[in-house]
Amino acid sequence: LGFDGVANVHVGRLVELDVPDASQVAAMCEQLLANPLIEDYEIQS
Amino acid sequence: LKFGIVRFPGTCDDVDALLAARRVGEAELLWHGDADLHGVDAVIIPGGFSYGDYLRVGAIARFAPVMAEVERFARHGGLVLGICNGFQVLCEAGLLSGALLPNTSLRFTCRQVGLDVVNASTPWTGACSVGESLSIPAKHTTGRYWAPDPVLDELEANGQIVLRYKAGENFNGSSRDIAGVSNKAGNVVGLMPHPEHAVDALTGSADGLKLFESAARVPA
Repeated sequence: LGFDGVANVHVGRLVELDVPDASQVAAMCEQLLANPLIEDYEIQS
Repeated sequence: LKFGIVRFPGTCDDVDALLAARRVGEAELLWHGDADLHGVDAVIIPGGFSYGDYLRVGAIARFAPVMAEVERFARHGGLVLGICNGFQVLCEAGLLSGALLPNTSLRFTCRQVGLDVVNASTPWTGACSVGESLSIPAKHTTGRYWAPDPVLDELEANGQIVLRYKAGENFNGSSRDIAGVSNKAGNVVGLMPHPEHAVDALTGSADGLKLFESAARVPA
């Protein structure tokens, strides 16, 4: 398509959650949202 | 011996597994919402796309009510076989080590594969002999077995590698050509190829029946 200079393309999974207490999200990632053996995750609020 | 085949929403190989099991014993379907295992002697988690596999393959199924009973059954030595998506579910549930990653081709592949029996002393391979070749179909997108090297070393040392792809047959890029593994006790086995699709010479191979025959030999 003529786009130059594209490197390190990554398609990942984005899970959006509305939660009253964001401190639970890391545990959610460990137990369900990610498989820590094969996946990395990052939490943004 | 009575087999129970677990059906989740999105499972698709349950009926083939049921019919394969009925060639060697009794078998019935178990529903994902069941609170008990209906007194079966062996549980098969068949292939498919449990709950759509939207989050991650096998990730949701392990929380099904029936899986609490399957886990208890497995931890008490009950016979459990996970095929394809069932293998993924057992890895997610922590009943088997490792995980399944996308095929190196990143494509769905459906083909007959040649396997070597590495461990013939599990309840699911007792009717085979070590080094025996099995021809069984495989069909998946996410079947590349992976575990950290120390875990792979441990699996090898403990005899937990049950099946390997033959030379040149490892189409999905699995670590150390692994096609199937067991837990340490050997009662829980998972594999990516589909033995339930290879139970009659009419469809090209009856080699898959050996896994069902193996379990049927185990005293109930």
